[in-house]
Amino acid sequence: MKEIKDKMIAQINAAFPEAVNKAYDGNRLDFTVHKDAIPGFLSHMKDQLGFRHLSHIAYVDWIEENEFELVYLLWSPTDKVKLFVHTRIDRENPVMHNIDMIWRQANTYQREIKEMLGIDFPDMVAPDEFILEDWDDIPPFRRDFDTLEYVNRTFWHRPGREDAQDVRETISKRSGEEIPDFAKKYSR
Amino acid sequence: MEYILIKTLEAMATFVLAFIVGMTYGGVVRKITGRAHNRLGPPWYQNFIDAFKLLSKTRGIHHGAMHFLGAAFLMVTSVVSLMIIPVLAPGGDAWYNSWFTNMNFNGDLIFLIYIMTFGPLGMAMGAGQTGNPNSSIGVTRGLSQMVGFEIPWVMALVALMITYKTTSVVDFMNIQRETGTWLMFANPFAFIAAVLAMLGMFRYSPFDIVGAPTELASGPVSENGGKFLFTMMSSGSVFTFAKLVLYVDLFMGGANNLVMLVVKTFLLYMIPVLYGIVSPRYRTEQAVRWFWGWPTFIGLLAILYAVIF
Amino acid sequence: MYNDKNSKKIVETIQNWARSHSVWVLAYGTGCGAIEIAPTMTSRYDAERLGFRGAATPRQADVMLITGYLTVKTVKRVVRVYEQMQSPKYVVGFGSCTINGGMYYDSYNTINLLDRYLPVDVYINGCMPRPEAVIAGLAKLQQIIREGKANGAEKYLENLEWYKENQRKIAPNWIAKAPDLNW
Repeated sequence: MKEIKDKMIAQINAAFPEAVNKAYDGNRLDFTVHKDAIPGFLSHMKDQLGFRHLSHIAYVDWIEENEFELVYLLWSPTDKVKLFVHTRIDRENPVMHNIDMIWRQANTYQREIKEMLGIDFPDMVAPDEFILEDWDDIPPFRRDFDTLEYVNRTFWHRPGREDAQDVRETISKRSGEEIPDFAKKYSR
Repeated sequence: MEYILIKTLEAMATFVLAFIVGMTYGGVVRKITGRAHNRLGPPWYQNFIDAFKLLSKTRGIHHGAMHFLGAAFLMVTSVVSLMIIPVLAPGGDAWYNSWFTNMNFNGDLIFLIYIMTFGPLGMAMGAGQTGNPNSSIGVTRGLSQMVGFEIPWVMALVALMITYKTTSVVDFMNIQRETGTWLMFANPFAFIAAVLAMLGMFRYSPFDIVGAPTELASGPVSENGGKFLFTMMSSGSVFTFAKLVLYVDLFMGGANNLVMLVVKTFLLYMIPVLYGIVSPRYRTEQAVRWFWGWPTFIGLLAILYAVIF
Repeated sequence: MYNDKNSKKIVETIQNWARSHSVWVLAYGTGCGAIEIAPTMTSRYDAERLGFRGAATPRQADVMLITGYLTVKTVKRVVRVYEQMQSPKYVVGFGSCTINGGMYYDSYNTINLLDRYLPVDVYINGCMPRPEAVIAGLAKLQQIIREGKANGAEKYLENLEWYKENQRKIAPNWIAKAPDLNW
């Protein structure tokens, strides 16, 4: 596995000198690429290095850095290596290159990203609505979208929920256990 | 005038009998299915409650004139075949025996073969009008399946006609009374072919492709609720009874009184029901292939048997 | 005599008895609760002995079980299916999601209060309600049908404007075919 990975890293670095590698254990390869290089990079991976399968396109909203991140998860069935390709997109102007001519299934993922995160894919041919119908707010998976506020505005609440207790706090109080610091901020 | 009035009353008595017996059979079948599934099942009179509930629905949406014709054709088919089929044997001695001789004129078997395919055709018209795609698919399947089971069924009847040189159901019953042998023993191949065709005629599993509830949303009747469904349900019950009586008349010597009639029809009815409980569902082409396989071959044997002996 | 008040009442009583003992449930699962319908209907709990039966299409059905959470997209279809059903028709809210949103109370795409969009006759509490609870709820429905109190369809027609307004609030571009409700 180590030799295969090293060989692949060498090949990728030779073809794309600007791609940044990050070392991981196991069968995981990790590269960060500029967003304009993504279509060429991915088609090279597919055609030359045997990453024939696109498993998923994951997306992260880095609101503190004012950026979106897309992660293309690739899988090589021959070498049993998975490849993570990271790229960052400006949050103010979220436009990304379309890759559904490389993998057909990317179309579906991109429709989801377009709808849930608001990243535009100018070349993509797809119907407008995928999951949300009649949505006129900011895309709901952006972190500045306040779900509870939206719910209060759109739906109604039945009275009786006000004395609801926080599960984590109640359990820790009952068993005398400390809530770790990182968990505290998720408590209600 | 009086004669016509009495005839009308007798016809209504026949219809009421067919309705009650048919609906009860439906409830009993649901009970038997329930017991076969190791559960209690609904009470035997559940079908009557269902029918009354459907009748007392306050709204019924229709989709144009042809939609009414679907239900109407089914009812016409059921009632006409019930009127043509002699319910009780002519030689019977029960006091109500003359009530049920409605219109058993000569040559009725030919007419029955025609009229029994009439209902599905009307249903096809009505289902086409509703515009529901499931209805159209169901009707297509129903007609395909009918093409399948009509062949062994007609072959069985033709074998009987060749042997006894008659097409009258009353004549068949007289022949059985005179010879003392039921036709199911006189020409067993014809009986077997007819019973195999019956499996498709009653549309229980494995031949319930027409109204498959989970697959086609009950097929042709999917747009019919309330009173439409009541009409179809009652006409289905009456038609079931009429077909059973026809089988009893042709192959089991008819019945001299109502008790024998109920016993014979019930025993015959259990063949498709019990076979259906333990069977999965065929696809359309499988069903047609099945009917054109062994049942048709046995029907051919029946005709050969009739010609040779 | 036929239009006499008393004879009408007698007919109504008989009809309500029949309606309560022959309840056809629309086989339409909206959420996770539909998984509880299978054991309720089959041999373990056998709801058919009480007169409950599955109906394949909304035209034939009497009861719609809203089994669990309703997303905004599903609400449109549920309303359409409800309007396709022939009255008298009943709605049973199933699980806490239909009562107050349940664990999805702060989700942007599931509604919280079902009775703002459809007239609900019986609520069954629980997440998920077990088949015993389902049967208890259906028995309660039978009881109120017998008493003649299950008049959700009339309520819907009387307050159609209010219901339609609520429905339009979550589905603004959706044209619902009011008021003849003939889909």
